[in-house]
Amino acid sequence: MSTARRFDPILLLAAPAVAYLTVVYGLPLLFLLGRSLLGAGGVSAFAGFFADPFSWTVLGNTVRSAALVTLVCLVIGYPTALVLARAGGFVQAAILVAIILPLSVGVVVKAFAWQIVLRRDGVVSQIFTGLGIWDEPQRLLFTETGLVIGAANIFVPFMILPIYSVLKLVDPRLGEAAATLGASPVYRFFKVAIPLSLPGIITGIAFVFSMAASMYVIPSLVIGDRFQTLATLTGRSFLFMRNEQLGSTTAVVLLALTIGIVVASSRLSRRLGGAA
Amino acid sequence: MDVLSARPTRRSLLSGAAGAVSLIAAPSILRAQTKELVVGGAAGHKPWVEQVVVPAFEKKYNCKVLFEGTRSLVNLEKMQKNKGKQYMSVVQMDDPVMILAVKEDLLDPLTPGKAPNLSQLVPGSSHMEGMWANYLQPWLGVAYSKGAMKTPPSSWADLFDAKYKGRIIIPSLQNTEGLPVLFAAGMLAGGTLEAIQKDTDAGFKKLVSLKPNLLTIYTQQPQAYNLLEQGEAYMIGPAMSSYALERKAAGAPIDLVAPKEGVFAMPSGIAVIKGAPQAELAFAYVNELLGAELQEKLAGPTFSLATNKAVPRPAGLSADVTIHQIDWANVAAQRNDWIKRWDREMAI
Repeated sequence: MSTARRFDPILLLAAPAVAYLTVVYGLPLLFLLGRSLLGAGGVSAFAGFFADPFSWTVLGNTVRSAALVTLVCLVIGYPTALVLARAGGFVQAAILVAIILPLSVGVVVKAFAWQIVLRRDGVVSQIFTGLGIWDEPQRLLFTETGLVIGAANIFVPFMILPIYSVLKLVDPRLGEAAATLGASPVYRFFKVAIPLSLPGIITGIAFVFSMAASMYVIPSLVIGDRFQTLATLTGRSFLFMRNEQLGSTTAVVLLALTIGIVVASSRLSRRLGGAA
Repeated sequence: MDVLSARPTRRSLLSGAAGAVSLIAAPSILRAQTKELVVGGAAGHKPWVEQVVVPAFEKKYNCKVLFEGTRSLVNLEKMQKNKGKQYMSVVQMDDPVMILAVKEDLLDPLTPGKAPNLSQLVPGSSHMEGMWANYLQPWLGVAYSKGAMKTPPSSWADLFDAKYKGRIIIPSLQNTEGLPVLFAAGMLAGGTLEAIQKDTDAGFKKLVSLKPNLLTIYTQQPQAYNLLEQGEAYMIGPAMSSYALERKAAGAPIDLVAPKEGVFAMPSGIAVIKGAPQAELAFAYVNELLGAELQEKLAGPTFSLATNKAVPRPAGLSADVTIHQIDWANVAAQRNDWIKRWDREMAI
């Protein structure tokens, strides 16, 4: 292993990418951090932010909606990934296209489409009233439920694809082996399939959660002005209130939140991946 | 005006950059041959500026006008970043943003000597000692769905009627057209327009009672009108004449009414940028927009009030309707505090 520590000239190939990222990503981040710290209040900008109960509402909105979106994506995405991994030939290609193609449709277009689906006389409302679940048509538009449904629709491919890529590598005979030892399908699912696909699940969760926590266009179109998240508050601080320090502060809090999730999940994924 | 739906396009940035480069790089002889004037404004203005204003102006002054359509705050940003080396000469922005530009010393005041039509404007159209002037004023009333409502609304109070639960849309305070919602609420709570603008407490308390009726608070105008046209929303208030009546004219089943308490005038300002290239031409451009001839042509298609005395009121607004003029300097000073309170009290 010690030889691996020697400088490998092939690492130089990464230099352009590193240089590029430093300039377009690293430096601006540093400026952002600097601005949040070195403004009029210094560290007190963060103290002020966390002392304000409204900030906690915003933080709560961000984490709760992102967590719900992630949960919905996981519940929908896992079985889809399982089917995708087991399917072959044309069926697999068709499912993959169905998952990937919608990514090419703009978020704004999708948000407008959800507006039609979720309104009072929309399809969802009609189905629920038709089935007798609702007594009268309800509005899902501009509610947190609507936001979660809309966002999950947009982010679900980012849950399916990592899980699928892990499941594809799992030997299907492991399940069969468990079955010959008398494991029931439910037992097999929870004790064999899920643990083996955990690295994919964790990666998917990290992807979806970090994207859902920082989404900007979807909440502003699907739920409007009345539901502030860290991302929308950041945009508003910079664009309308011209309060750069507040904007930088909320942006740094959001960054810390998503970095935390990504780092924690990649650690977890590495440990579990090693165990698997 | 339409500060939100606009985005700086690559094309507008390129044309702006090209304009800037050509002004700097071209030898003065060449510049003298084809004078170029860069005008910054809202993207929503592009159609009428390019179809009505530019052809008339280019012909009269033998020059070329480049219109950069974006948002008011983006224009402000451009002016700040180019201080001392401006490439834009004229800017068309909302009054609240103009106030910020004045504070940053970015505008060259208008005088009747440089823009003679300034003296032909209705009172209150020129601001902060001529720093900028209003060339048109879209008015704000209540837009409603003709399919959903048998009788049109007649008062701002109709928005608060309990029978419209979940059917009302109002603009965000972020949007310039959203600010008067606070004043309309304040007026309903009692008090003079002057007093309720300074102290918005009563207005906020009244607004909170609107929450059960709200379908949403919009930041994107087209989205709100979609909902109104589909019948999901029954009313939008305040609604801008320049947008609502344009949709109506295009065949949408909606209409705009002037409530009995009066309508609000929206601020469409125009100013010359300090240190502007082609300053003389810039003042001429402003003068043309303040003139009766162009305003008469524009008031119709933009469904706005003209500010030149010689131009009559537009259709849809009878002579006895009160037009409230908003104290935009007060708005600029207090807006951030209002947005903070709004976020806390109007949240779902």
